[in-house]
Amino acid sequence: MISEVALTVDFAIILLGATLAGFIAKQTGQPTIIAYILAGVVLGPAALGLVGASELTELLSELGLAFLLFLLGIKMRLDDIQHVLSPIVKISLPQMLLVFIAGAGLSLVLGFGLLESFLIGLAVMYSSTAVVIKMLTDKDEATSLHGKIDVGVLLVQDVVVVIILAVLAAGRPESLGEVATTLGVVLVLVALVTVAAVGASQTVLPVVFRRIADNKEVFFLIAISWAFLFVFVSDNINLFLAPLGIEAYLSIEMGAFMAGLAIAQLPYSKELQDRVNPLTDLFVMVFFVSVALDLEASQLLAYWQEAIVAALVLMPVKFLVFFYLLDWQGFDTETTFLGSINMIQVSEFGIIVAAVAFEGGFIDAEVLGFMTLLAIFTMAVSVYFIEFSHPLFERFEPTLSRWTSDGTFEGGKREYRNHAIVIGYDDVTRNALPLLADRYEDVVVVDRSVEHVEALEAEGYDAIYGDFRNATIRKDAAVKKADFALSSSVEPTVNKALLREVGDDATVFVEAERVEDARELYDRGAHCVIMTAHLAGERLADYLRAYLAEDERLESLMDGDVELLASSDPFPDTYEQLGGGLDD
Amino acid sequence: MTELLTAVSIMFIVAGPFLLVANRFDLPTVPLLVLAGIVAGFGLDAFGIDEELTLELAQYGIALLVFAFGVDIDLSAVRTVIVDSEIAALAQVLVVGSLGVAFGVALGVPIEEAAFLGIAAALSSTMVGTALLRTEIATNLVRGRLARSIHFSQDLLAILLLLGLGAGTLAVGPIATLVGYGLALLAVAVLVNRYLFDAIGRLADDSAELMILGAVSLLAVFVGAAEYAGISIAVGAFAAGLAVRHDPVEYLGLFNGLESIKDFFVAIFFLTIGALVVLPFPFLPYVEIGWTESVEKLLLAGGLVLLTVVVKPAITTATLIYRGYEARSATLASLSSDQVSEFALIIAIEALILGLLTQSVFDAIILAAAVTMVVSSLTQRYDERIYRTLADRGVLSANHERIDTLSDVPRELSDHVVIVGYGRHGRKLIEACEEDNQPYVVIENDPVRRETVVAECDAFVFGDAMERYTWEKANVDDARIVVSTVDSDPVSRRLLSFEFDADLTLRANDRTIALELLEAGALYVSQSDLLAGQQLVTQIESVLDGERTPAELRDEQLAELESHSQATS
Repeated sequence: MISEVALTVDFAIILLGATLAGFIAKQTGQPTIIAYILAGVVLGPAALGLVGASELTELLSELGLAFLLFLLGIKMRLDDIQHVLSPIVKISLPQMLLVFIAGAGLSLVLGFGLLESFLIGLAVMYSSTAVVIKMLTDKDEATSLHGKIDVGVLLVQDVVVVIILAVLAAGRPESLGEVATTLGVVLVLVALVTVAAVGASQTVLPVVFRRIADNKEVFFLIAISWAFLFVFVSDNINLFLAPLGIEAYLSIEMGAFMAGLAIAQLPYSKELQDRVNPLTDLFVMVFFVSVALDLEASQLLAYWQEAIVAALVLMPVKFLVFFYLLDWQGFDTETTFLGSINMIQVSEFGIIVAAVAFEGGFIDAEVLGFMTLLAIFTMAVSVYFIEFSHPLFERFEPTLSRWTSDGTFEGGKREYRNHAIVIGYDDVTRNALPLLADRYEDVVVVDRSVEHVEALEAEGYDAIYGDFRNATIRKDAAVKKADFALSSSVEPTVNKALLREVGDDATVFVEAERVEDARELYDRGAHCVIMTAHLAGERLADYLRAYLAEDERLESLMDGDVELLASSDPFPDTYEQLGGGLDD
Repeated sequence: MTELLTAVSIMFIVAGPFLLVANRFDLPTVPLLVLAGIVAGFGLDAFGIDEELTLELAQYGIALLVFAFGVDIDLSAVRTVIVDSEIAALAQVLVVGSLGVAFGVALGVPIEEAAFLGIAAALSSTMVGTALLRTEIATNLVRGRLARSIHFSQDLLAILLLLGLGAGTLAVGPIATLVGYGLALLAVAVLVNRYLFDAIGRLADDSAELMILGAVSLLAVFVGAAEYAGISIAVGAFAAGLAVRHDPVEYLGLFNGLESIKDFFVAIFFLTIGALVVLPFPFLPYVEIGWTESVEKLLLAGGLVLLTVVVKPAITTATLIYRGYEARSATLASLSSDQVSEFALIIAIEALILGLLTQSVFDAIILAAAVTMVVSSLTQRYDERIYRTLADRGVLSANHERIDTLSDVPRELSDHVVIVGYGRHGRKLIEACEEDNQPYVVIENDPVRRETVVAECDAFVFGDAMERYTWEKANVDDARIVVSTVDSDPVSRRLLSFEFDADLTLRANDRTIALELLEAGALYVSQSDLLAGQQLVTQIESVLDGERTPAELRDEQLAELESHSQATS
């Protein structure tokens, strides 16, 4: 029988502690990641000992990483990253090798044993996916050129981590041949998952998602279900391979990323970003808090001096390695600088590699503590560098450009400016579209229905699928820079959000159902509030008057209305004929 | 990976196809998630994972579900429901509830457990019922409003029941204390909402991430306080919802974010509920159950379904007709309440956890809920047909005397205008008639509008436009024109089918339907969007061509708005 279930106090404490720390960080201008990590250190066994790792926090932090990668995948349109694929591979492999040599050498100098130094070298090669991607997302730079390079390098590192974890998990390898086999199997699996994801994005997914896109809740849950499918398969890959006598390992992060990547190729991915983002924020917070939850203070601090020295050496080394390699690949000075400064920390994967090595009996708990401290310390410091990367670049640009070659790599995309935005495509707005297209270079339509978006795109309009209440959608439509906005939504929330965000000079037309709403919208700056039901009521009363007075004009007016109603053209080019009514 | 992650993964993977089915056949998601949970239960067994593992996550689902109810609650609606004395609809809850208890006792269920059967039978689901009625509510039809207030008052009742449940006993003493705690929690929530929330908003400084964390933390604090005081976490969650209530415009990121988090955990809740069910089919793998127990479970579930799908709507209809609603609106509103509430599921799972409920009664309630939620969407789809069948068989006898007493039509009325519906449009039409000294009759069926109709209209019939007698009463045979302002396809088609001699104009929201109605013989169909589109183009053009500045347009429009609102008020 079911025992009494109380909600874990642990999670509540983590939540409250992190929230409090987060607010303090916000007020003092610090990045929230630092706040979460510190909250973990303070709440965990190293300091207050209020909470330890529990099954729930473990789940949520696992979900945090999985969702972070899923979200990242959703943002990656293959068309956008194709052109950086080759430099990414050319950067990441030498980078890992160089950092490995630096890390292992440094450890030897600091007095670690040969095997320990080798493993530390392996563990410090990667930069932190969680930190870099979270910061890039927060700064809205994930899809900028340097963002794409960093993300690409992180993913290559991810593949390497997976391979190394697989080798370590197999215990002490008996021969080089065994290592090679494991390596081969993992690479094949990664390739298979990629093929499955890309294949699905070409075949099944467009059909399925087109059907469900109009149902907000189902759309979201199916996307989650899809992500879990990949997470589950990646995690249980052993189960599927056991009959073949192969032992292998795939990270759930890799699976989640591929699941997201498959969805990113669909036109509905924007809407999903905003739905997945809040869950990711919540879970990733738990992840950062729990980084420090596993270790006792004595283990964590055994090698604290070594950790600080290592951090102070490794961060500049990482920066220089990245800087040299990016420059070598022909990126401009700014991209090179930003792309490198983002990657100077040691990854949470470093901790995981160390943890697996600890479990395999390769290293002591104190070395794991050293790795943890090194990771926490470099993550914390790097967050500041990422946060202030642009001012830093401006400060150092003159010096830097003396050292770098001229950039030859092109990237970036066009943004809307002085355009017209139409929210909702329906019988009201469809008449206005040709008129707006006539006067504006860009007309962007935001709509929640797949059918409408397809029709609009076929007609040559820029259409964004999504809910206007989502921040990404508003940003995509560049609401702030619009010169004209028209909303056919009668939801006051949507219209108020529009009025809040448009620039002062923009002309805004909105719709309302009730007089009170209309009044409020005028108060908030609307120039014209269309009241559909009122208009119709008045027109009907006019027609009734004409009918009762047996006015001859009535028939032709009604015929005109019917003709307009019957015109099946979704974009009537007849706006010049519109108007009418009995008042003219 | 933890076992828990495997469990959650399995549940969501299984949910995928079920959700596709829901979408394909336009069914509510809740019952399909429960069914997916039942199937996922087998997957969990195959992996040797305990179903109870996700129970903690499910609790968050409950908390967030109730939390969201608290956030969205329309406090003015509480007042209207009480003032409207639709509280009388609660009488129906009592009757159906007692029947449920009696039924359980008759099958040998101890009375303490039978009480939960009563609750399951009596409460209807807002998530299913009103989701299905969206258009009717949006177009402000009588039955939409009725259904919503029925569901709403039942939801409030469910919260009260949950409050009592925390005691684990039905003795008077502890319940009084618990109600005290509950009220204290609600009071704190109101204070937080008034004094703390905006401060949090300011401190978060436009960061949606922090606002979400803040709101979830508030939820955790309230839930924790509820747990500490020994009352149901649902009450704490409800209070937290009240604390976070706010105009969403300023905190769009927060409220969108909370919705995502809610959707995720609520899905886990319904899936877990499904996974906990032991199916009454002993021949299935992993099902350890005897034949007698199976039969008992099936009987209980079957009886509950019957009570919910047949008895409850019947009693609700009777109550509403007694309250003065005409038969059609009453029937259609009642048909939207023919399912077990998601709150009943919360109550059931809490009771199961507290050990107040045995597995087989719990299973019966969950199964009945899943079945009735699916059935409900079917009855909703065919509601007009169900009503017609009942009416034609004379089950719902048309009460002509009642229409006679409520209506006021001059004896020799001819060459008049018949106006259906006394809303905004109806009022404008009557103004037009009165200017012209044109005789008219208004047909209206909403008791709430009755007083205004009596005060403002010269002639009116108080009855359902779908009924022939109403039209006899309005003397349609001698009328000049019939103008319907009701935006409802069934009503429009019914009016066309009467084949009046008089001209007929209708109203439609959808362009294609408007065209169909014209084709079917309407003289004219008023479609609001068409006009709005025309006006819009003229206005936009005038601004873009520089005929008027946006500011001038604004002043002009505002002046017009004020003159209109004065004219109509």
